[in-house]
Amino acid sequence: MLAWEVRRRRVVGVVLRDLYSLRHNPPRMIEVFFWPTLELVLWGYVSLFLASQQVPAVVAVLLGGVLLWQVLYRSQGELSMAFLDDVWSRNLLNTFVTPLTTGEYLTGLLLFGALKTTLGAAMMSLLALALYGFGILSIGPALVPFMVLLVLMGWALGVIAIATVLRFGASAQVIAWILSFVFQPFAAVFYPVSILPAPMQAIAALVPASYVFENLRTLLTGGRPDWSDLVVAAALDAVYVVVALVYLAAALRYARRRGRLSRFGD
Amino acid sequence: MTALEVRDLRKRFRAVTAVDGISFTVGDGEVVGLLGPNGAGKTTTLHMVLGLITPDEGTVALFGKDLQRCRTEVLSRVNFAASYVSMPGVLQVDELLNVFAHLYGLRRPRRRVAELIDLLDLGPLRRQQFRFLSSGQQTRVQLAKALLNEPGLLVLDEPTANLDPDIGDRVRAMLLDLAARSGRAMLITSHNMREVERMCDRIHFVQSGRIVATGSAGELAGEYGVADLEEVFLKVARG
Repeated sequence: MLAWEVRRRRVVGVVLRDLYSLRHNPPRMIEVFFWPTLELVLWGYVSLFLASQQVPAVVAVLLGGVLLWQVLYRSQGELSMAFLDDVWSRNLLNTFVTPLTTGEYLTGLLLFGALKTTLGAAMMSLLALALYGFGILSIGPALVPFMVLLVLMGWALGVIAIATVLRFGASAQVIAWILSFVFQPFAAVFYPVSILPAPMQAIAALVPASYVFENLRTLLTGGRPDWSDLVVAAALDAVYVVVALVYLAAALRYARRRGRLSRFGD
Repeated sequence: MTALEVRDLRKRFRAVTAVDGISFTVGDGEVVGLLGPNGAGKTTTLHMVLGLITPDEGTVALFGKDLQRCRTEVLSRVNFAASYVSMPGVLQVDELLNVFAHLYGLRRPRRRVAELIDLLDLGPLRRQQFRFLSSGQQTRVQLAKALLNEPGLLVLDEPTANLDPDIGDRVRAMLLDLAARSGRAMLITSHNMREVERMCDRIHFVQSGRIVATGSAGELAGEYGVADLEEVFLKVARG
């Protein structure tokens, strides 16, 4: 049997586990749609109100920000939650004594997370169109690199959340809920980076999402995206992903050395 | 061939020495037991054998290959069940087994799942969610999971700890039957002396991270001049 075929099966195993789990857990299905919808409705009406006050392009800018922020947030959240499911069900030891490699495990989690993120984003996009007449496709071809850059950053943060739980134990799981929001003020989702104080601007320059949201605003207000910004964001994403993977490998080594992995069975 | 060779394993957790130079082997088809009081180092040893804990010193070789270097290859020939490990509760029995059949990279996962559902008499439970099963039923599912890849070495950490005497006895009978029919090597820990007497070809008594006595149940009783393994246990544990 070819090695890649065995690898494919193991990845499918991870995806199947999450798929079955979602099928038997309707509240999880609601969660995929509930928060994005709630955010969209709230920010949608805020933007309609501001539009009525003659603030230019506000509907598109705010709704575009909400929609794309959800892509980053869900990418991180779905990855972390799928791992925490293993912790909560005391199944982590069963998973870690299989021949599944860390790369295969992550690939399975990412595939399933991407599926859920896509479902949520599609639902939000349709609602934005139906309720506020905002079509996400109005962003044009730049939407593709925007999404890719945000998904990559979300995945890197998701891996960091997993590594933190492995390193510090199940009590550190709060990181899975807050990590994206730590970056949100610097990502400049709803306001330009220039409005931030200088020290925060310096940090924002290191956050890939800030380049995406800056260019999103430029584009939605009639400007043209600065592709060199997106190249910088891609380079930063690459750094985030590498740092996340190195941290995960180190956390796993630490957890094995200190016996922390065993304690996930307690 | 030797299914498992553990050589001079040592593990310290800060000031505590959990395992202090343990060496033993498990031959093909052999059932070996690790006995000892709580905190003796049995589970730490098993977890080092499974790659969940990295030893400070010593080596673990499975089927002649080093665990650290050939992790994926050797773990595909090992499986594990323990009373303290659970499974995703919302999944149905057949779904759980299908997931793990994939994780072990089995070629025909559905066929193997069907065989094990048959073997462990799980047919009536196959559509039940794991969380709604009794302890005995959950243990049977865990054992089915542990047999999916037809492991050359089955590692069982207190496999009958949560079971009533009747179900515990049935599980033991089933494991013995499996060992006899398949020639599968097993490494078991248990606090149930009768279980160990009945199942194990060889027993290692572990205390303070060291193996302090080795032999069959009869040999150990003879060596310590007592009637059975329980008295050996008390004598060893109380020094």
